[in-house]
Amino acid sequence: MGTLNLEGVSFRYPGPGETVLDKVTLVIPAGGIFGLLGPNGAGKTTLISILAGQLRGATGRISAGDEPLEALRRRRPHGLGLVPQECAFYPMLSCAENLRFFGAMQGLGGARLKERVTAAARFARIESALARRAGRLSGGLKRRLNLAIGLLVEPEILLLDEPTVGVDPQSRAFLLESIRSLAGAGRTIVYTSHYMEEVEAICDRVAIIDRGRVLVSGVLSEVIRDGSSLEELFMQLTHRSLRD
Amino acid sequence: MRRLLALWEKETLALSRDVLGLAVLFLMPAAFIVVMSLALSDVFKGGAARRTEFAVMAAGPKLADRLARKLSGEGFRSAPAPADEAAARDAVRRGTPSLVLVVPRDFERALDAPLDGKSTPPSLTLLADPALPPAQLLAFQQRVLGVTLSLRVSALMRRAGIAADADALELKDAASLSIETIGGTARPSSVQQNVPAWLIFGMFFVVMPISSLFVVERRDGTLARLVSQQVPFSLLLLGKVGPYFVVNLAQAALMLLAGRTLVPWFGGETLALPGRWDLLAAVTASTSFAAIGWGLFVAVCSRTLEQATVIGGVGNILAAAVGGVMVPRFVMPEAMQKVSEVSPMAWALDGFHAVILRQGGAADIAEPCVKLLALAAALLAAALWVHLRGRVLTSAQ
Repeated sequence: MGTLNLEGVSFRYPGPGETVLDKVTLVIPAGGIFGLLGPNGAGKTTLISILAGQLRGATGRISAGDEPLEALRRRRPHGLGLVPQECAFYPMLSCAENLRFFGAMQGLGGARLKERVTAAARFARIESALARRAGRLSGGLKRRLNLAIGLLVEPEILLLDEPTVGVDPQSRAFLLESIRSLAGAGRTIVYTSHYMEEVEAICDRVAIIDRGRVLVSGVLSEVIRDGSSLEELFMQLTHRSLRD
Repeated sequence: MRRLLALWEKETLALSRDVLGLAVLFLMPAAFIVVMSLALSDVFKGGAARRTEFAVMAAGPKLADRLARKLSGEGFRSAPAPADEAAARDAVRRGTPSLVLVVPRDFERALDAPLDGKSTPPSLTLLADPALPPAQLLAFQQRVLGVTLSLRVSALMRRAGIAADADALELKDAASLSIETIGGTARPSSVQQNVPAWLIFGMFFVVMPISSLFVVERRDGTLARLVSQQVPFSLLLLGKVGPYFVVNLAQAALMLLAGRTLVPWFGGETLALPGRWDLLAAVTASTSFAAIGWGLFVAVCSRTLEQATVIGGVGNILAAAVGGVMVPRFVMPEAMQKVSEVSPMAWALDGFHAVILRQGGAADIAEPCVKLLALAAALLAAALWVHLRGRVLTSAQ
């Protein structure tokens, strides 16, 4: 799909309210893990939702390689995948039924669907839970099912919106390892998180945004200077005041 | 097509695992059908079906017995006369008996007054229980006037020297009158009114599971996820139609079965089946599409489960109250009957009555079916418009 380029992307929700994204310009190179950081309400999820095609009405230009992202999405509908912040599946269906449903909705069928369900379940290590109702799973298993659904069609660009929220250290370590292996296979991963140590551990490049604006962006080692940590930089740029 | 089938399968699985929701969809209308068919059976049969007690207070027991005998029958049964008028008023206030006819002392003399328009006619007083249905009060009033007229005619004939037996002068013997209603019975019976009425109410209740699941899908991010997977929003809405259409058809079959078996088992009438099943299917399908359209519209407009429940539930109850589900339209005042024409449940009821009650043809169901289908299309279009106008699908901020 090539490099994701965002040029002057702005967005505001309908009705009175602040601009959520204000002329955001970012370059997300193909391959690797791009960390998108920001405090609550910074605009991370909105940006991810725009990239995923969930929100309309953004101004500016978003392209993948030389082609507008919207045109590319029409041409290759499943080239870009999303693992949302919420556990976005049906709690009353079993894990297998959820995987089959979301696979079918993305055009998979027959033997290919079966193969992809098995592969995604194996990757997320949820094979033993396939027959269980999704609503009765532990927090860690739910997160892994959420990830597995996002991998069914093997997207080239994967948007991960806070994928490790509310899981135990074991599940978090597993999820981070899985994400690293996905990037190793040549995928571009856009990763949002509030956990600085996670971002430092797995991301090649980062951007910190706040109040809809990009405060800093670049290669992780270049962004963190003077031997300080990412968290210190984050607090310095976004200040210590509490956010709504 | 694969995606539509997947959506239908998902919706069916989700619905089948919501046992309480399914129970509401099937048991609620069935319970209403049985209870309301039995509770209202006498009201639908009219005065003749109700045994109303009356008493006659006259100066002499012979006259009182004679009047009581002539007034008895066709739903009216004589009861012992109270001791005096005060006791009669107390008795009627308690409703036992519902009616007391007070005959003055000079009644028999007044019967002899000539029918010349100058003489004072016999004067009678009828004490009535206010809870008595107006139709029955009117029927008894006509019986009293009829009996009095026969007694006066008998008295006049006697004065004219013509031998006449007053007891033989009965209104019911004046002529043989047969009533022929065209196209089945003129008015629905209790079961004919209540089976289609509560079936329609139950069918429209699919608004609850449709909107609830939709709100949960939006809240949990599954809708947003599907949109990010390039699934058109219109397809997501169509994905709800198939399963709930099947649910509505199953409701119709089971409610007709309830009218045929459950209601008579509890002592009510048996529902008469329609002659044209194809027309019944057409009315059922049109009603179903309107109900599902309503469900989709409420689903798209509601942001929370509470909103969906209130808008869907209250909307259904209002449409049922206005549309003749809870109170038959023929007992409504004329102005309310006009108002009821705006309710889709009234259109559906017209369609069902045309098939079940009047044994009508395709032309008789055309108007209600077209109205219901037009409403379904308008609601679906409105749901899409609300979605597009909102521009934002997710709750992400």
